[in-house]
Amino acid sequence: MTGPALEMRRATKRYAGVPAIDSIDFSLMPGEIHSIVGENGAGKSTLTKAMAGVVPLTSGEMRIDGKPVEPQTPNDALKMGVAMVFQETTLVPTMTVAQNLFLGQEKYFNRLRGIYIAAQQFLQSLQFDVDPTAQVSLLGAAKKQMVEIARAVLHKARVIIFDEPTASLTPEEKKYFFDLLYSLKARGVSVIFISHALEEALQVSDRITVLRDGKSIVTDLASNFDRARIVQAMVGRDLQQTVYGQRKKSIRAQGKRVLSVQNLRMAAMVKNNSLSVFAGQVTGVFGLVGSGRTETFKVVAGVIKRDFMHGGEVLLHGRPIRYFVPASAVRDGIAYVTEDRKVEGFFETKSIADNIYLGLLAKLRGRRPLFRRSEAAETGEHWIKRLNVRAIGKEVKAIELSGGNQQKVVIAKALVQDPELIIFDEPTRGVDVGAISEIHALINRLADEGKAVVVISSYLPEVMAISDRILVQRMGKVVEEFSAIEATEEKVMYAAIH
Amino acid sequence: MIAMLSRWKDQLLGRGDAAITVPVFDGALKSNRLIEDARVVAALEAPEDVTTDGRAVFVADGARVLRLNGDRLEEVHRCAGSITALACMPDGGFAIAIEGKEIRVEGGAHHGRQWSAIGAQGFNAVNAITVGRSGRLLVTDGSRERSYGQWKHDLMGLGHSGRVFELTPADGGGRMLAEGLHYAFGACEAGDELWVSESWRHHVIRLAGGGKAPLQAVTDALPGYPSRIAPASDGGAWLTCFALRTQLVEFVLREPAYRVRMMAEIAPEHWIAPALNSGNTFLEPMQGAQLKMMGIVKPWAPPHSYGLVVRLDERGLVRYSLHSRFDGKNHGIAAAAACGDTLYLVAKGNRRLLALDIASAQRELVG
Repeated sequence: MTGPALEMRRATKRYAGVPAIDSIDFSLMPGEIHSIVGENGAGKSTLTKAMAGVVPLTSGEMRIDGKPVEPQTPNDALKMGVAMVFQETTLVPTMTVAQNLFLGQEKYFNRLRGIYIAAQQFLQSLQFDVDPTAQVSLLGAAKKQMVEIARAVLHKARVIIFDEPTASLTPEEKKYFFDLLYSLKARGVSVIFISHALEEALQVSDRITVLRDGKSIVTDLASNFDRARIVQAMVGRDLQQTVYGQRKKSIRAQGKRVLSVQNLRMAAMVKNNSLSVFAGQVTGVFGLVGSGRTETFKVVAGVIKRDFMHGGEVLLHGRPIRYFVPASAVRDGIAYVTEDRKVEGFFETKSIADNIYLGLLAKLRGRRPLFRRSEAAETGEHWIKRLNVRAIGKEVKAIELSGGNQQKVVIAKALVQDPELIIFDEPTRGVDVGAISEIHALINRLADEGKAVVVISSYLPEVMAISDRILVQRMGKVVEEFSAIEATEEKVMYAAIH
Repeated sequence: MIAMLSRWKDQLLGRGDAAITVPVFDGALKSNRLIEDARVVAALEAPEDVTTDGRAVFVADGARVLRLNGDRLEEVHRCAGSITALACMPDGGFAIAIEGKEIRVEGGAHHGRQWSAIGAQGFNAVNAITVGRSGRLLVTDGSRERSYGQWKHDLMGLGHSGRVFELTPADGGGRMLAEGLHYAFGACEAGDELWVSESWRHHVIRLAGGGKAPLQAVTDALPGYPSRIAPASDGGAWLTCFALRTQLVEFVLREPAYRVRMMAEIAPEHWIAPALNSGNTFLEPMQGAQLKMMGIVKPWAPPHSYGLVVRLDERGLVRYSLHSRFDGKNHGIAAAAACGDTLYLVAKGNRRLLALDIASAQRELVG
């Protein structure tokens, strides 16, 4: 019996004296798939960032193959055989897929064609359908994630940490990913798997560790867990077994038509798309990756532009709109909560309060020429309380928050603008079950207040649980509509695929 | 000048009015087959309007007024010409529009009262009469230029000479409430407001303050051409749409030269225009079209006729809708009347009186 490939002993990390992780003991055996689960702010990211050399431990030690190590940078950790695939992609958007894969492994003389061929062969071996010559900024979230995974595998790491790797993958892509995990395991590579999808953790893991409030609560064989036991350990309170488990028994009455999209066209992604969004309802938009959901609503919010000629009409309260910049949409009462929060959602080096206040300034259209510190602090405090953002203080930088709390900041940044139409794009991606419940409750509250709410989600149970009406999009247009009462998973998925 | 440049720009880029888009059937307007599956009460010769006094249902069929007695229709009145609108008076009798040019009260306390003009404003295409709470008659006259039967001509000519009148049977007086409407077709009291269908603008407008206040849309961007409005027993109204808007027709409406030539050279039943029924002849426009999708040529035709009734709530918001889809036959719904738990509809397309249970429709559509 060999010892652990990676071990953490009484690992503690404090920020401004407040422990993010507190005396955690953790071990990872060779060839083991070990899941770490917990609510947002439980310490999963901090623990794994310490392993990957992103943050140093305040106290405690880390051992690789029984030897104490202190990686100071991710590069140090990589040399020791520990690689991390982050929750949000860390790819260089202006470079191609192949260039990103081989970033840091350049030779003195690099032949681009050679890199492309090597990348192509490598991606094919992983069964990842990604064009190595494509610029990363043009890829969707799922494909970016695939490149991240491929990069970690390429670096021949002995321990690979995946932070929410499946959040943006389609069911088929997930299957490939799990096959990849099994093949890594067969090669003796150890895997740490962080996921909020508990079924996935139960499915792929050998062991599961549950963290709560920076402490390790339980570690056990996956076969000894079920969903209820994990949730109980995660939240330490009697939460419903599944936040998606309850089907709607009644739906909200339709209010005024707030948004009417008519025959919208946007390059190859949106093809003659028509839909309406009504006040006082949650309109769920479901579709597979590439179905044009995000692009449709990005056009509405002025993030991207529709076709220059014959691009169709978008009417807000019956008035035609065509935005050149998102700020114009914000002023008209449209808020778009992005699916890619790290790139588009917030300023990562700014504090929570500053981020939220910047959202307000966008709405005020230059009527606040000066940044008022006191107003920013007040606004930040109000929204931190209202959305239950778990942070040490309002001055904490957004980058230092967990995924779920970052998402709450992005939502607060949108809600501070007091919008009439709020578009949530994948609002609970990379968010733990506790925060999912809170975000869902918030979305429902907004609809109850009479706001028009759109929720774009790739996760069918989420769409089914939260929507009053469900629009199914396929190949660039809405192909079917269901009321929440008549919808079944089979019907919705059938419409999305066929 | 700026407006002209803006129009040219829109035409070039396919924007604004030149975008030629049509609102989609979604939300409460999501299509179903309830009108197609409705019970056929009777096949008629030329049904036009249906009304109720709360106890019985009356249908205008050609020149006759028929009363529904069980499942049987019996003639209760016959006019000299075709009836274009019918309403039950609160004290018995009917208000009847004949050939769109004359309104008469037949029976009841004001029997014999008649109007053919209000001052210098002669009636031309009276298409709906509603009785208000105070006993006043609310009358819509679709067009000053085209007769009632020539509604297609009015649409293709971009007519906007519709008028709304208020008539008082007690003294035989009347006044005009609004004019210059894009085919006024149906009016109804809703609280202190008066709602009027403006067909060619695809909306229902509100005439507040006795018609003096500016016109406001109650419900706009309808995917069909709205017609008569009947009050619903629990508030709100039933709005019928006699035809459907399509991108093809919208396109033709923006092509004046084409329209002029079409109107001059082709029989109206073969125009690219909304219709009350379709599938009668291969000469109908675009019935033999095809569309190439994914390399496969598929038969396709833009819809020519449709059946649609919209249930509006007290605020004018759409609660749910009843449909007869393209493949159906109960098209061209021109009038509705709710009597008890039953909604009666006149399908002009295939000349039928239909009935459906309101409670079960509501249960099916809104739970």
